[in-house]
Amino acid sequence: MKEALNKFKSLKLVRMMGFNRVVLIGVIILMYILFTILSPILHQGTNFAQVSRLLSALNYGYFIGFLALGVTFVIATGNIDFSIGPVMFCSALISGYCMKQYAFPLWLCLIMCVLIGAVFGTVGGAFVAYLHLPSFITSMALMQVAKGLGSVFTKTQTVSWPQGDAPNTWFRNFVRYKGIPTGLIFLIVVAIICAIVLNHTRAGRYIICLGANKEAVRLSGVDTRRWEMLAFIICGALAGFAAIFYVGAYTTVQPGMGDTFNNEAIAACVMGGTSMAGGLASILGTVIGAFIVALMQEGILAMGFSISYQYALTGLIVLGAVIADTLSRRRSN
Amino acid sequence: MPEVILTMKGIDKSFPGVHALDHVDFEVRKGEVHALMGENGAGKSTLMKVLTGIYTKDSGTITYEGREVTFANPREAQQAGIVIVHQELNMMGHLTVAQNIFIGREPKKGIRIDDNAMNVEATKLFKQLGIEIDPKTTMSELTVAKQQMCEIAKAISHDAKVIIFDEPTAALTDTEIEQLFVIIRDLRAKGYGIVYISHRMDEIKKITDRVSVMRDGQYIGTLITEDCTKEDIINMMVGRVIYEDPKTQSQCPPDAPVVLKVEHLNAGKMVQDVSFELKKGEILGFAGLVGAGRTETCRALFGADPKQGGDIYIEGKKVEIHSPKDAVEHGLSYLSEDRKRYGIVLKKSITENSTLATLKEYTKGLFIDRPKEEKVTQRYVDELRTKTPGIDQLVMNLSGGNQQKVVIAKWLVNDAKIMIFDEPTRGIDVGAKQEIYELMGRLVKEGKSIIMISSEMTEILRMSDRILVMCEGKKTGELDIAEATQENIMNLATRDIDMREGDK
Repeated sequence: MKEALNKFKSLKLVRMMGFNRVVLIGVIILMYILFTILSPILHQGTNFAQVSRLLSALNYGYFIGFLALGVTFVIATGNIDFSIGPVMFCSALISGYCMKQYAFPLWLCLIMCVLIGAVFGTVGGAFVAYLHLPSFITSMALMQVAKGLGSVFTKTQTVSWPQGDAPNTWFRNFVRYKGIPTGLIFLIVVAIICAIVLNHTRAGRYIICLGANKEAVRLSGVDTRRWEMLAFIICGALAGFAAIFYVGAYTTVQPGMGDTFNNEAIAACVMGGTSMAGGLASILGTVIGAFIVALMQEGILAMGFSISYQYALTGLIVLGAVIADTLSRRRSN
Repeated sequence: MPEVILTMKGIDKSFPGVHALDHVDFEVRKGEVHALMGENGAGKSTLMKVLTGIYTKDSGTITYEGREVTFANPREAQQAGIVIVHQELNMMGHLTVAQNIFIGREPKKGIRIDDNAMNVEATKLFKQLGIEIDPKTTMSELTVAKQQMCEIAKAISHDAKVIIFDEPTAALTDTEIEQLFVIIRDLRAKGYGIVYISHRMDEIKKITDRVSVMRDGQYIGTLITEDCTKEDIINMMVGRVIYEDPKTQSQCPPDAPVVLKVEHLNAGKMVQDVSFELKKGEILGFAGLVGAGRTETCRALFGADPKQGGDIYIEGKKVEIHSPKDAVEHGLSYLSEDRKRYGIVLKKSITENSTLATLKEYTKGLFIDRPKEEKVTQRYVDELRTKTPGIDQLVMNLSGGNQQKVVIAKWLVNDAKIMIFDEPTRGIDVGAKQEIYELMGRLVKEGKSIIMISSEMTEILRMSDRILVMCEGKKTGELDIAEATQENIMNLATRDIDMREGDK
């Protein structure tokens, strides 16, 4: 048994992807089978194995995926960002409101989404990197700012982005075009760019190394503050991207919400093998993790449970992943 | 002769790669103050840690009050009556004096803590010691000296019979030291056995009855304080035997250009008005006791810590260094004494560590040039003979000596001209030590200049061309290697303390 496991671990593909990622793919398949069997039993003959269910799960996976990719950079530096969900909503609310009230062109609104996210990232990153504030508290505070700002700006109204036959709906093609899940292509392309940045550029190298030992990197003559802040900017900008894909899939955004997505994105990231202690990150793991979260959400609904179960489960997943991470680190010490 | 209360015999303790205690003997009598002396790393602290159950001994016996004992932890030792008054005080600042003294064994009234009873008990203790402290004061409001007295009171309240003072005067003023001595003499008169660890020669002469000296983990001997001189003790501490041949004369040509000039460097209490020069191809040794301010001086020079003042000239040009980034740009490099924290990224590979200071040069367009990076890493792995299965190996899997070589490689890749080695061979085994020495020799021949901080006298004498001695944040002297001996370095390293004593 042990031998077989070792043999499996030494397969080229497994080594390339990392054992943890292969296991996660197994988990996705198992979850899919489980939901297909359980949902008709638990929820009056619901059929889980439909294309529409998969597409719905994908819709959820896109924006969670972008959020998770962003927060991977922050977690790699050994920090955390609890503001990404509300930041995503805040940028969708403000730019959507500008489009409706002030007739901003759609392209400008999309750019605004990303910019607003990046501004939040810059502010948070500056506080953490230059003023040495703990990222935990800083991002908690910014989460409230994002929620409040979104509400104030829209006068606490729900904002709807163009939908149905309305003009200016081409942004929805990002998510799905003539039945093709284009969102998946975008997510994969951005994930590949993220992986290249993280593994093959100076920024990525510094971000990961400073996550592992900031003082050693600083004493090597590197201005760590710059790179630490950059991680937050990337994270914020990707939260802005997530906003585009959120409205592309669901069109309506409510003010004062979004914090539940923080945990789901962080869960996706940590499940994928990014260490909460910093210094270790896997983009592939994050993407797979995001789809696990998305599939779980779809499955829970299909089985007739309320979405609250999802919150509880995500919390447990974060705990489980952190325990696994901590244990593996303790062992290697 | 009063009776012996504590005897340690043949105590042996090894850590991976280090024989920390080599069959050490030590005894304490009732009503004596017994000094334990030795250079940094001689094994004094380790011996006391074995005694109080922080470390377990490999072999040897401890006899206490006529019985053989082994303490599993400091608590057991404390209950038996052996307590340490630590150099760093272990007090909780926001609690009151009495609460600190009785922490963990508070008198109770029902389920409530009886603060009144506690205060009464504490007052009794202080009276016994002849000190005046209000037990209701918050600990953080007291001076360090008063806090220490509380610690002593705590020790006595534990029914202590043996009290160990670990460098008790390090943070005290002269009058406070006097007060402390009054208390210690009083405790001696009451029959306590007292172990007194200190570097300060004059205190030893003033307060102790006997002196035991340790060196390199070995017990060297015990002297009656009254009958010996300061020189006798220093001789025992540094030893007559020199294991490696010291340098006899500077190998740096006298007309070599000055590459680094530091003037009036000030940074906090630990760096006071330090000035020095470093020549091309020279190894400048920084000698002194631990806490003399050598590391602080170099960190301030390197921009790692903020400084309050001082001018730095590199190759004659005045430069501004406010961060390690500035320092590296001016060709400086710093190899920390604490490699794992400040030198390397343990979780990353040799390659990633080697180019950490120079990544810009190994970037082509937007991307890191892997082949170029790997080539240079391999070159230095070969050149420094780093023992590793491959350059992708994580640094955490390497031995101490090889980790040090990775740090050196990082700065060689950077082509640093001035290298600061802070305790370059700490935690490194003998063979690798030799290699590091040879490497440093080669580096200065190639025209690099080295500042070497070392607490090992033999290392200082063997490697340095010139020696700068510091004591308590000040430069106390500079010696050419030709005139340097262990004795005169030690004298300078403790000089400031002597001068202070002499002021009175």
